[in-house]
Amino acid sequence: MKKTALILAAAAAVFGAAQARAEVVKFGIIAPFSGPFAVWGKQFKDSIDAYQKLNGKMVNGHEIQVIWRDEGAGDASKSRQFAEELILREKVQMLGGFTLTPDALAVAEVITESKMPTIILNAATAIITRKSPYFLRVSMTLPQIIKPLGEWAAKNGIKTAYTLASDYAPGHDAEDAFVKNFEKGGGKMLGKDRIPLSVTDFAPYMERVLQSKAEALFVFAPAGAPSIAMVREFDRRGLKAAGIKLLAGGEVQQIFLPSFGDSVIGTISSVHYTESNQRPENIAFRKALVDQAGPDTVPDMASIAGWDGMNLVYETVRALGPRFTGDQAIAFMKSKTYESPRGPIKFDPVERDIIQNVYIRRVEKKDGILINQDFTTVEGARDPWKDDNPNAK
Amino acid sequence: MRAVTILLDGVAYGMILFIISVGLTVTMGLMRVVNLAHGAFAMLGGYVATALTLKGVPFLVSCLLAGAAAGAAGALAEVTVFRPLYRKAELQHVLLTIGLCFIAIAALTLFAGSTPLPAIVPDWLDRMVDIGYRSYPLYRLFLIGVGAVMALGVWLIMERTLFGAKLRAAVDDAQMARAVGINVSRLFFLTFTGGCALAGFGAAVGAGIMPLEPFYALRYLVYFLIVVAVGGMGSFRGSLAAALLIGVVGTAGRYIVPQFGGFLLYLLVFGLLLWRPNGLLPPKSAA
Repeated sequence: MKKTALILAAAAAVFGAAQARAEVVKFGIIAPFSGPFAVWGKQFKDSIDAYQKLNGKMVNGHEIQVIWRDEGAGDASKSRQFAEELILREKVQMLGGFTLTPDALAVAEVITESKMPTIILNAATAIITRKSPYFLRVSMTLPQIIKPLGEWAAKNGIKTAYTLASDYAPGHDAEDAFVKNFEKGGGKMLGKDRIPLSVTDFAPYMERVLQSKAEALFVFAPAGAPSIAMVREFDRRGLKAAGIKLLAGGEVQQIFLPSFGDSVIGTISSVHYTESNQRPENIAFRKALVDQAGPDTVPDMASIAGWDGMNLVYETVRALGPRFTGDQAIAFMKSKTYESPRGPIKFDPVERDIIQNVYIRRVEKKDGILINQDFTTVEGARDPWKDDNPNAK
Repeated sequence: MRAVTILLDGVAYGMILFIISVGLTVTMGLMRVVNLAHGAFAMLGGYVATALTLKGVPFLVSCLLAGAAAGAAGALAEVTVFRPLYRKAELQHVLLTIGLCFIAIAALTLFAGSTPLPAIVPDWLDRMVDIGYRSYPLYRLFLIGVGAVMALGVWLIMERTLFGAKLRAAVDDAQMARAVGINVSRLFFLTFTGGCALAGFGAAVGAGIMPLEPFYALRYLVYFLIVVAVGGMGSFRGSLAAALLIGVVGTAGRYIVPQFGGFLLYLLVFGLLLWRPNGLLPPKSAA
């Protein structure tokens, strides 16, 4: 009897000690909170805070602590510097964030050396995940979301098209993806103009499109002031009245729609997350966001990436405990499949890139609010660039 | 006919640049203060106009009130921040005013959010009208009209009033102007206030072409500075000529050779400054 009690006591002591060793798991996020891309940082933070408010900060007794770093106006060298600081001084166990492609590329070497599992929350150039085996992407790639749009256009009676894309790498990616798939489907391109990022008056470009008599115009510009000026000019110059269809990507996310005014109604876009979808996961997500950030908050692709990225961190700690190697974490995360508010997601185990549905939607006005309404879903879309370029490094 | 369209587009854009930049040109010429925060005053006006329009105030009224608000902010800044700055070196001007610019950006992001503001151009203005050979956006014609009225107004003040005569004298030779009893500090205060008011008004009416967002203050700053540099510091006529030139050449370049559209404008600026380092129509002091 005495012996049993002793063993019990010893077991209790050991168990108690294990309980007491609650650890803090640090997740460092590098994103812009100031400068022209500040909206990204804000949206990441709102959704990650909402996730923690809903699910609590503790996973199996271990606290998940998020450490934020503001890399400002797209400064890649700062991104690298923060990554080093977070890894060496803060001893984070996971990294995340990265709005622009150069921000992500700049940390590739650092995270490879330190075997730091790193979740990309936006940076959308296809090649990034090949730059380090510790990258995993929960956002999208441009070819992934634009390819379905090119195919859809060709299949749905649009015979001629024109593209206006901002003259930088993502713009080129988007233009290529649209043109290639539109032409493959039998469509004919009447023009492909590239617009310098500094341009803010789009009148001459819209005039060219109008003169070309194309049936559809595909635009790509950084979400924000440039894309808004572009769409307004499209309407103001009478391209909409002339029956030209406007096709876009992330430019017409719901968060931006009030800036356009009603001129944007009818715009067709393809993106991996539709804010108005009625999945139970999305309804819960939007409710959590409203609880955190107020009734006017509207989720966008940054919010959804933050939410799903945070979910991966929680799942990893739940499965592997508070201590894990980079290889373990990446192996675990890339095998995850899960019902996200955007729809079902999983990861390509070789490329560590997300596989998800892409939705083709149309801007409509419902109850006085401009929203995107899904009408076609392309299921399980992969990044086509990786398949087309199997050996690019 | 296509040339007419390009010309109209270019002039409309140039007019907005002119309304916003003319104050900067004159104050820089007058006090040699490098004011990089000029875009912030314009932005403030635009935000005020948007807030008012969304509350139901008619568009034109809120544009005028935006000008008043930006002018008031300018007046306040002149007294508190700029006045101690005149005797300092240019580097200090640059550092302080760019700092103001960042403060304005951060403050607007905090209070109004980081997304661009909703469109405020009213429906009666935002439509197409028949101009003989084609239908053309009325809004652009409106901008040209407003710009012409503003230019005429500024011209009358500069050339036909005692205030304008004093101002021109002070721009040409501030020391001499002081010596004959002109209160140059007061002139500067008034000009600075007026320039900020014009900028705020310009940002408000031009919001349909240049969308308002917190980064506005820096995004368009380079164009305002080009107007100042190309036009000649302190020169009203120079800034009008430079703004229209930038508008028309920029637009034509993008229309005719879009693949070079990005740097055609800078090439032009480069050439112009090589040819006339003091600007197109510099005041006498710089010539």
